[in-house]
Amino acid sequence: MSSKGKSGKTGLIFFPAFDWAISPTHPEREERLLYTRDQIFEEGLMDLPQIDEYKPRLAEMLDIARVHFCVPDVESQITEAHLIAAGSTLTLADALESGEIRNGFALVRPPGHHSMRVVHGNRGFCNINNMAILVEYMRSKYGHKRIAVIDTDVHHGDGTQEIFWHDPDVLCISFHQDGHTLYPGTGFVNEMGGPQALARTLNIPLPPGTTDEGIHYVLDRLILPVLDEFKPDLILNSAGQDNHYTDPLANMRFSANGYARLNEKLAPDICVLEGGYAVETALPYVNTGIIQAMAGLDYSHLKEPDFVPGRFVQSEQMSREIEATVAQVQRLWDDRDELVKDALEGLGDFYRRKKRIFYDTDMINESQEETVRLCPNCSGYMTISTQAQRGYGILNSAFCVSIPRKACASCREDAKEEYEEHIDDRRIGYVCMQDKDRDTFKFHNNMTHTQKSY
Amino acid sequence: MLVGIDVGGTTTDAVLVEGNSVVKAAYVPTDHDDLLKCLLGALDELVKDVDTRKIERVVLSTTLITNMIAEGKTDPVALVLIPGPGTNPKDYNLGEACILDGAIDYRGREIDRLKESQIKEAASKISAQGLARIAVVGKFCQRNHAHEQKVGEIMRAALPGAKIELGHRVSGHLNFPRRAATTLLTVATKDKYREFAQAMADALRQRKISAPVYILKADGGTLPLDSSVQMPVETIFSGPAASIMGVLALTPAGQTSVIVDIGGTTTDLALILSGKPLLSSKGAKVESLLTHVRAFAVKSVAIGGDSAVDVSDERMTVGPQRKGPAFCMGGPCATPTDAMRVLGLTSVGDAARAEKAMQEVANKLNCSPKEAAQKIVDAVVDKIVAEVGEMFRAWEQEPAYRIWEIMKKERLEAQNVVGVGGGAPPLVPLVASRLGASAIVPDFARVANAIGAAVARPTITLNLHIDTERGEYIVAEDGLTGKVGDRKMTPEQAEKLARKLLDERAERLGIGEYSGEAEVTYSEVFNMIRGWSTVGRLLDIRMEIPAGLLASWRGC
Repeated sequence: MSSKGKSGKTGLIFFPAFDWAISPTHPEREERLLYTRDQIFEEGLMDLPQIDEYKPRLAEMLDIARVHFCVPDVESQITEAHLIAAGSTLTLADALESGEIRNGFALVRPPGHHSMRVVHGNRGFCNINNMAILVEYMRSKYGHKRIAVIDTDVHHGDGTQEIFWHDPDVLCISFHQDGHTLYPGTGFVNEMGGPQALARTLNIPLPPGTTDEGIHYVLDRLILPVLDEFKPDLILNSAGQDNHYTDPLANMRFSANGYARLNEKLAPDICVLEGGYAVETALPYVNTGIIQAMAGLDYSHLKEPDFVPGRFVQSEQMSREIEATVAQVQRLWDDRDELVKDALEGLGDFYRRKKRIFYDTDMINESQEETVRLCPNCSGYMTISTQAQRGYGILNSAFCVSIPRKACASCREDAKEEYEEHIDDRRIGYVCMQDKDRDTFKFHNNMTHTQKSY
Repeated sequence: MLVGIDVGGTTTDAVLVEGNSVVKAAYVPTDHDDLLKCLLGALDELVKDVDTRKIERVVLSTTLITNMIAEGKTDPVALVLIPGPGTNPKDYNLGEACILDGAIDYRGREIDRLKESQIKEAASKISAQGLARIAVVGKFCQRNHAHEQKVGEIMRAALPGAKIELGHRVSGHLNFPRRAATTLLTVATKDKYREFAQAMADALRQRKISAPVYILKADGGTLPLDSSVQMPVETIFSGPAASIMGVLALTPAGQTSVIVDIGGTTTDLALILSGKPLLSSKGAKVESLLTHVRAFAVKSVAIGGDSAVDVSDERMTVGPQRKGPAFCMGGPCATPTDAMRVLGLTSVGDAARAEKAMQEVANKLNCSPKEAAQKIVDAVVDKIVAEVGEMFRAWEQEPAYRIWEIMKKERLEAQNVVGVGGGAPPLVPLVASRLGASAIVPDFARVANAIGAAVARPTITLNLHIDTERGEYIVAEDGLTGKVGDRKMTPEQAEKLARKLLDERAERLGIGEYSGEAEVTYSEVFNMIRGWSTVGRLLDIRMEIPAGLLASWRGC
């Protein structure tokens, strides 16, 4: 459900990772949440009776392996900062489930929404996907079935989309600045999920310069009604803050008040910080606004120093453009069951797709072939064959097998066979098995013939 | 010789310390309506037949401010806030306030101007209300106090003779509502405290005691009486601080101890972690107000020697109410004290009455009086042990903002359980054995508070904020700003500056001899990157003389 109507406190984890940076002058550096700290501490937000501050814990390797095929293994793709950022979301999940809090905000870095299922390195400032780790934890520990992830970062949440691409029970909605004009260059309306989960991925690309008015139009006319119909157990917000009008990496014109109002209406159960790099002009105010909205506090006194209501007015043409996109996505959503039916009719026992993935931070090119069994009895096992290159050399290659929750006997059997067939195949570096049904995970190194389990 | 005097709930205790031994103790009953009389009474009793010229230092621990606030005897204050953008001030529990336009941001930049006419209007409103004391507090004024100063000036001109306190002089820490509360309490108590300090100084002069007089603060540090009139609210909760400093003085150095002060109605718990008393993480809570006052973390648990024992439906409860003294002392109902009397753990009160009280409980529980007594004592010990565990957990769960802090945070377990207060001796060994720790009831447990006051050294905290892009440093509490020429100032250079500024402050406060004991307790540096280049640095240094004991005591 959403946190609306629930009583209790708002749980807050503030983990600014003041001793972690991608590189000294990178946007993802120590200073990023410094002024946010100053603002929220000076506001005394943690002292208010509506808010409880929590200390983060470290995520376990198992929590990460439940989502990602890290190559060659989980340990080599993460730092302690990643474990703390991911662990923060899990601490809030536990507090939410125990009823200690009514909603929670993991105001943490490093971010995660560009990390995909297979991880060879860092892309879009992300190594592991905090939001996806939270989703899978909520499902395996607390048995939640239907979860909605709303990505409100200015960049397309391509990692989260890719991880839940074939999953009809996780509704991924992302609105973002049009991929023609911004990293990662995806997130168009026609990206709408795998054949079994069509229209459970919804993308709303918005023109550069979209204002509070445009984003709230998308929220009111599309996202909220879709959520009403989807009826998720949980609503989660990948809360990037780079739609702000001062963000140096993007071109939107969203305000702190707009962000606060968005979170008030969306009423997410948990918010997880993603991007947002206007460290002085946006983050202190946007974060304060999100906290206030989640805690049910008055945010009408909050504004950026240079903001006056009515500062940004959207052109008629831009409004029409947004309305058209919303109408188009709305039609996909309305037709979702037919879309799935039609797609499955045209396919055989397996669905295959090839992908190329670029890791901008680490300059890695990955090529993948993904195969999903379209099983009538369960959601079907999946295999991914992946090869990563850096420059002209091959970095790593792996064959990954994923067994879904509630897998049928035949899928389990076939998946196991696929895994075993690739063991000790010298053309492939690693063979990975993700058994979500039994919550066990194996990473086999074909060169050293050693195995690691989580 | 050192003199320590602590005003307690029932008695005011005084000790005379020489080297590392207590040479004399004296007690007088506490009269809460005349604390000066109690302090002087205990002092006179103590220094009878003592050559007062040999007294090197007198330290007082009084409940003056605590009582004044608890009894609502503080002076009325007008609160003037300059909150800027952010939280609606009504969401803070600060009562009525005058809200002014104007704003400063986290970097100390003006983002909205003051309106002079609005300030004058506020002044006339305050004057119409008949208020003569004003607290002026702005958000981020510790990063730039121009607004507070300007408002202060205008108010001073409009309201001649008004007492005005500015927020930045009270605390340089982040947290605007706490700073507002602390400033409010400072103005509300300052005049009465000054009267007390004056009367105390006069009384000592009459007694020809010329030794410097200090007051004990909530953080276990001492401050010269005449300097303390600037920050009276820091003397709240000096009682628990005195007792913790006393335990620090009476137990082995460097160890981890739980301090258990078992009274009639409540049990106070405090921690000394590896030799350092644990401070409450943000500041003391004074009545309903959260403040910036540095204070030891003390947890008050509603259970004590006089807690009422109640049995209904064969379920026994101990506390939280106290209906009167123990039955064996003539009280109305069974209590843990009666149970301890029956078990032979104490010899206070009337044995027959204790037995009778336990018999009554036993009848309802279908057991023997001894068994009933044991159950009651177990319940008290259970409660205390659980609360101690909770305190350690809360300490472990204090938020941290850096990777190394989260990775390195150690786990500590109690090595000692130290008992102070009347109810402690019989129960401390039981609590200690449950925690796997040694029980310590110091020889001078009864006057631990007064000893703590006598041997506590001064404390001081200096917060230095440096913004090299703006080219300035600021020490809010001192109202001090200065220029910084080097954009690449290093933490080492900043620490050097902090030390110099601390030395100067210590000198002003009359505790210059201790400034050598100051240490850097917090240091952070951030490079400011704009575009892809470094434009400056932000440095924050906290340098302090933490709570500790005088060298003369430690040396022996």
